[in-house]
Amino acid sequence: METPPYDKERFLNAEKEMSALVRASMSKYETKPNVMFAKLSEVSKALSKGLVEWSRVRSLWPLQFGLSCCAMELMDFGSARIDAERRGYLFFRATPRQADVMVVAGWVTKSMVPEIKRLYEQMLKPRYIIAYGECATCGGPWWESYNIVKGIDQVLPVDVYVVGCPPKPENLYAGFMKLQKKIGGEIED
Amino acid sequence: MVTRINIGPVHPSTHGVLRLVVDIDGDTVVKLEPHIGFLHRGVEKLVETRMYMQSPPYMEKLDYVAPMSYDEAYVATVEKAMGVEVKERAMWIRTMLLELQRIASHLLWLGTMANDVGQFFTVFMWTFADRDVVLRLLEEASGARMFYVNMRIGGLIRDLPPGFEERAEEVMDHVEKRVKKYEDFLEASPLFMERMKGVGVMDREKAIELGVTGPVLRGSGVDYDVRKNNTYYVYEKLNFKPQLRSDGDCFARYKVRMMEIRESIRLVRDALAGMPDGDALGMPIKLILPSAKNRMVSVSRELPRGECLMYMIADPQRPYRLSIRAPTFINLAAMSEISKGCRTADIFAISGSLDLVMGDVDR
Repeated sequence: METPPYDKERFLNAEKEMSALVRASMSKYETKPNVMFAKLSEVSKALSKGLVEWSRVRSLWPLQFGLSCCAMELMDFGSARIDAERRGYLFFRATPRQADVMVVAGWVTKSMVPEIKRLYEQMLKPRYIIAYGECATCGGPWWESYNIVKGIDQVLPVDVYVVGCPPKPENLYAGFMKLQKKIGGEIED
Repeated sequence: MVTRINIGPVHPSTHGVLRLVVDIDGDTVVKLEPHIGFLHRGVEKLVETRMYMQSPPYMEKLDYVAPMSYDEAYVATVEKAMGVEVKERAMWIRTMLLELQRIASHLLWLGTMANDVGQFFTVFMWTFADRDVVLRLLEEASGARMFYVNMRIGGLIRDLPPGFEERAEEVMDHVEKRVKKYEDFLEASPLFMERMKGVGVMDREKAIELGVTGPVLRGSGVDYDVRKNNTYYVYEKLNFKPQLRSDGDCFARYKVRMMEIRESIRLVRDALAGMPDGDALGMPIKLILPSAKNRMVSVSRELPRGECLMYMIADPQRPYRLSIRAPTFINLAAMSEISKGCRTADIFAISGSLDLVMGDVDR
């Protein structure tokens, strides 16, 4: 096909022209393009529903966010001994916009609550929270302190609790496995 | 033009929840202001409501990188208030465990520090693997992985398990080899050297003026180590000398800590070799303790991060007031002074080299 010479008006109207061309080529087929695309999207949706869930379960990106003691064990969880990446608990992300899971590791003070809330709001949905350790679960030994929120679940929804003071990194591993089961629909809330 | 930027409180390089408000002119820091208090939970007040031996778990959570050191400092304060003598063998075991804790703490510091200055997660993985070996020794001796609570009045919760000496020797040999490997690796890296040498310089006078302690002070060439100058336990019988560097920059602090790991290895070996037989068990918690005789006591200890001073006004069964001089709190105060005029990227080299633990700063 011969390329037509450059024409400014034609260049500006390229979109209209393209859609006219598509419409003309589609008129040969019996089904109209709208119907065809609708069916295609339905099929792909049905296919991708399982696919999205499968990939969501197997690539959980935790947020690099440690508050206190339990953050040491969280670092150990990310190190070579546990090797969490083999099951899809991937590398710790430094920004909440790239993270799926927030592991709240440590005691939550009243001055820290707005910051944690903001981090949670910056994470993209679907987002999950693991309360790691006694302090994040219920306040722990600081129950009587004047500056402590008695568990992160008072301010944000928690998916999995991992208890211990501090829990071993293996326990966090088990907690992640539980979260996977929860996302996959194997266990209910 | 001066721009004000905010770093933290949640930032991958601040080692906790430190917030920095920095005024920068181009890429040069004009003024740096640390904002703290995000982890404050009032330990000193909580301790006043507890019996003496209910408090060690709280003390351990102050400095969660080296919990046993704080635990020991507190128990030593209580012992001093009660006028209890520590058993001979317990003194030797405590010295050895404290040095093991120092090795573990410095290894964790090295991994995170190397992270901050561009050795992205390589050294971190190595040091954590080695720290884990040391932690396993501590777990064997005390029964817990992170929060040990193994100090009792006059001794320890348990004696060393059989065969501990041989395993400790093995671990020490392993760590010694690895420390050499880290030094070779890091000091051959031009990136690491560029970011550490000549950054955050604190000279001798300024270090004394700011009141910093520990490896930060010794990195500025001041010969002060509580283990030597105000000795406790069996440090005077063991052969070691404080490590000094005169440069006062981040590299000097790094070097001091690396040499301290070596010294600690030597101390552990010496302590294992000279350990006397006998009883090391302290009083069980359940018994009513002898009530405190001395009204005001203070104990100073060399923690991995610097000098900790515990000052206690003692009531018979619980402290009336416990005041803690936290080493990292004072070291953090030096940060705004020494980071004046540095580049923005060097802020984290400096904060890493000061070895901050925010749980200790905020208390």
